[in-house]
Amino acid sequence: MPDRQKKAEREIYLGEFEQIVLLAILRLDQDAYAIPVREEIEARTGRRVARGALYTALERLEAKACLSSRMSEPLPERGGRSRRYYTVTPAGLAALRASRAALLALWKGVESRLERP
Amino acid sequence: MSMHTPPRLFARLLALVVPRSTADEVLGDLHEEFVDLAATAGRQRARSWYAAQAIRLASRSMVHRVAAVVGPGPADPLAPNPGDSYMRSLASDVRRAGRTMFKRPAVSALVILTLGLGLGANATIFGGIDALILRPFTIPDLDRLVMVAETEPGTSADTQETVSPANYLDWKAQTDAFEHLAAFGWWDVNLAGQEEAERVAGFFVTANFFPAVGVAPSLGRTFMTDEEVRGNHRRAVLSHALWQRRFGGDRDILGKTVLLDTEPFEIVGVMPEGFGFPLGADVWAPLALDPKAAMRRDDRYLSVVGRLSPGRTIDDAKAQIALVAQRLEQQYPVTNKDRGARVVTMVQGMRDQGLGPMLSLWQASACLVLLIACANIANLLLARGAERQRELAVRAALGASRSRIVRELLVESVVLACAAIPLALGVAWVGIRLIRINLPPRLVRFVDGWTSMGVDERVFGFTVLLALATAIVFGLLPALRASRPALNESLKEGGRSASAGRQRQRLRKGLVIAEIALALPLLVASGMSTLGAHRFLNGPQGYEPDGLLTMRAVLPDAKYLQPEARRRFTDDVVARLSVLPGVRSVGLSNVLPSSNNNSSRAIEVEAVPTSDPANPPLVDNRLVGPAFLGTMQIPVLQGRNFSDADRADSLPVAIISKSAAERHFPGADPIGRKIRLGTDPWLTVVGVSGDYIQQWFNRRNAPTVYRPYAQAPSAYLAIGVRADGDLAALIPAARAAVREVDPAQPIFDVMPMRQALAEKTIGLQYIAAIMAVFGLLALVLAVVGVYSLMAFVITQRTHEIGVRIALGAKRGDVIRLTVGQSARMTAAGAILGLMLSAALSRGLETALFGIISSDVRISLGFAAILITAALAAGYVPARRATKIDPIIALRAE
Repeated sequence: MPDRQKKAEREIYLGEFEQIVLLAILRLDQDAYAIPVREEIEARTGRRVARGALYTALERLEAKACLSSRMSEPLPERGGRSRRYYTVTPAGLAALRASRAALLALWKGVESRLERP
Repeated sequence: MSMHTPPRLFARLLALVVPRSTADEVLGDLHEEFVDLAATAGRQRARSWYAAQAIRLASRSMVHRVAAVVGPGPADPLAPNPGDSYMRSLASDVRRAGRTMFKRPAVSALVILTLGLGLGANATIFGGIDALILRPFTIPDLDRLVMVAETEPGTSADTQETVSPANYLDWKAQTDAFEHLAAFGWWDVNLAGQEEAERVAGFFVTANFFPAVGVAPSLGRTFMTDEEVRGNHRRAVLSHALWQRRFGGDRDILGKTVLLDTEPFEIVGVMPEGFGFPLGADVWAPLALDPKAAMRRDDRYLSVVGRLSPGRTIDDAKAQIALVAQRLEQQYPVTNKDRGARVVTMVQGMRDQGLGPMLSLWQASACLVLLIACANIANLLLARGAERQRELAVRAALGASRSRIVRELLVESVVLACAAIPLALGVAWVGIRLIRINLPPRLVRFVDGWTSMGVDERVFGFTVLLALATAIVFGLLPALRASRPALNESLKEGGRSASAGRQRQRLRKGLVIAEIALALPLLVASGMSTLGAHRFLNGPQGYEPDGLLTMRAVLPDAKYLQPEARRRFTDDVVARLSVLPGVRSVGLSNVLPSSNNNSSRAIEVEAVPTSDPANPPLVDNRLVGPAFLGTMQIPVLQGRNFSDADRADSLPVAIISKSAAERHFPGADPIGRKIRLGTDPWLTVVGVSGDYIQQWFNRRNAPTVYRPYAQAPSAYLAIGVRADGDLAALIPAARAAVREVDPAQPIFDVMPMRQALAEKTIGLQYIAAIMAVFGLLALVLAVVGVYSLMAFVITQRTHEIGVRIALGAKRGDVIRLTVGQSARMTAAGAILGLMLSAALSRGLETALFGIISSDVRISLGFAAILITAALAAGYVPARRATKIDPIIALRAE
């Protein structure tokens, strides 16, 4: 990997919750709008997610160009409102990859100490 | 249908707060989840869930928006993400605010208590307005329903004139903005059956009435168009309540007959539980217009309700109706000249005329109370700001920006306001309960929406919004003030700053003056309404209401059309009532004071031409038995009373009231003169009676003409029984006496005259009671305000007072110095308050139809009470000041 690209990737810093949101969206593939994203996170991590916090994170991730979104047709079951579907952008994938690499590097060598009773 | 609609108020609240770009996403997601939850957990659960989520999302969104306006906090080099740090620092602000709150528990408790009362008062009244004015009917698609009324020249914009049949039919035929245009007319009837006969609330309705209001029967059917024809019209639909009460919920009731005004009607349907439109109706029958009645344009007795066609708006309906009315005016100039038509929403159309002004008055008063509370709290916070001056100055010196400090202090206010919400809801719960249980059950049917009054999610939402707004009102001023510290002054040793302190004090004094100025009008208004209510209930009525039992009956034409039959019935009833134990006399009339009905006629005096034949003067028309005036204890001032000698075949005579004599025989002796009511025979005036109060609101000392019942037997009966002892105990015997004469003839409104009076003036009693509570709250808040300011000022001036005492000032001097300060403040507030009171009492006079008269003495009296209380509140800390030991005071440096 060329040096310059590496630098650009590092500039996008992902918080833990942001990583979780991006991963959930990846898992959901085509079906990712706020409700299933939230359900996915709660089911996989066992953590409760405040709706407001999720919307804030989604908005911020889109502002950082990690996510792109499109609106669906208006749906009657939503009172005639549209859904916003999210997709992880290449920049988002790169940021996730960088975060993962950074964490794995740090994890190396400490697993055994955590396993001690 | 409504199963899938989330609570509209909260959806709207959220839509208002969330940025437009994300509204679809957020509201749509919430809607989707709401629908799922409603299907699994039930509608009620889902609604409260939605409300809670909406409030959380809205407050979060609000914080974001406020944050965007205030700007980011100080850049923290360690924080990788400014947005995150902002939220985190806001959270820490909230935590810090919580700590501050608990650090000064007494001040915080005082703030929360004050705010809880102020917010609670507003929530209570909002609960009333919401249930009674905003959505009084449990009718689907209420916003598609309109009412159409005739208008008359010279009437105010609010009056709803009834409609003539021919005009209604033309409106219906010549417009297409209405899917249904239905008419109904008042038809209270005598219902006879196996049990005791009963008077029930009934309405004649057109066949399309039920489709128009959009409610289907729970049993059977409603009316067919061919039942709008006389002879085929004897069908009835019952309310759920009547069906349960009289027929034990019999499911085989369809096809059975019921006797209404002695005529048999076939029961074809039963309406669902809770439906009683209009005015708590118990029975409906088809409106059957014979061809002659359908042509009438001068006989107006119908109300018209319409459902708008899909895609049409109320403006379309207005335009169409205006056009038709204009056409009719040209076509039928005799009856329709200057008569237009007006389309209003159903809620507007059915609204009680007095209710709106009354509730607005209360809401305005509640707002005043809250404003006073805000001034008080702002004062407390200003005092606290002064104590924290140094802390804030140090932080500002260390680089905290002004917006940062303002934000922190505002967050403190918001946290305090939020802490007061549960208390406010508790106050509202108690308040609404008190309002609800004090309305006589008999009257509940006349107030649409009464039973749905309570603390619900809408009241909750209102309280939350008001609390947030309030927090800004009382928090902003102290926050701005505290965040502008004169750095040098505050950091200087001692911190007893001169200029900033004086400015701050001027602000605080201004707040206290405002409090007094706002409290006084409230006190005056509460005094006026309390005195008014007292006068109504206990003042002279022109007759003796104590020891008088009243009852009413309406004789159906089918059985009592002949005058002879009516005379026989009334003679018999009066005779039987007269011999009941304890009864002293029995007065027969067609109308009694304080009842809902009246009878008035055009009067003509012999040899005096009427000035305007189209609008002849009206008099109250009373058809009374010989013992009536004596029983009521209405004096005969001149001439003679009626007697048994005034019979059907004797000389037609009349007694006129004093006001009628003054109006129609000014400066002349009316005895022996002749008058005529409408086209009836000429009557010879034989006496003049005293005036009495028929109705406090609009019929006081109305010109009245009495005629012997024997000479003009009416089908409308109102009987007053004067008796010794317990009137309530007499009621069963009185009912039995009437039953013996005719078991199918019901009597109603059987109650002591005192009770009738109390019910008639219930609105005013409510006004008086609620205004009294508000007035008292305002007084207490204002006095607390004066006290806390003076206590604070004296603490601040301890040093100065110590010096003065050391230099030889006497106790009297010190008290004069400090009390003088509060006296000047109070006087300024009172003068402003008196001016406001004058304006307010004029408003009250118009709002309450002139039954309340403003009185300078009331205003001055309450000003005196307020000033005394305020001076006392200032004296307590002043006395403490005289006990200052100069040595300790000077050492306190």
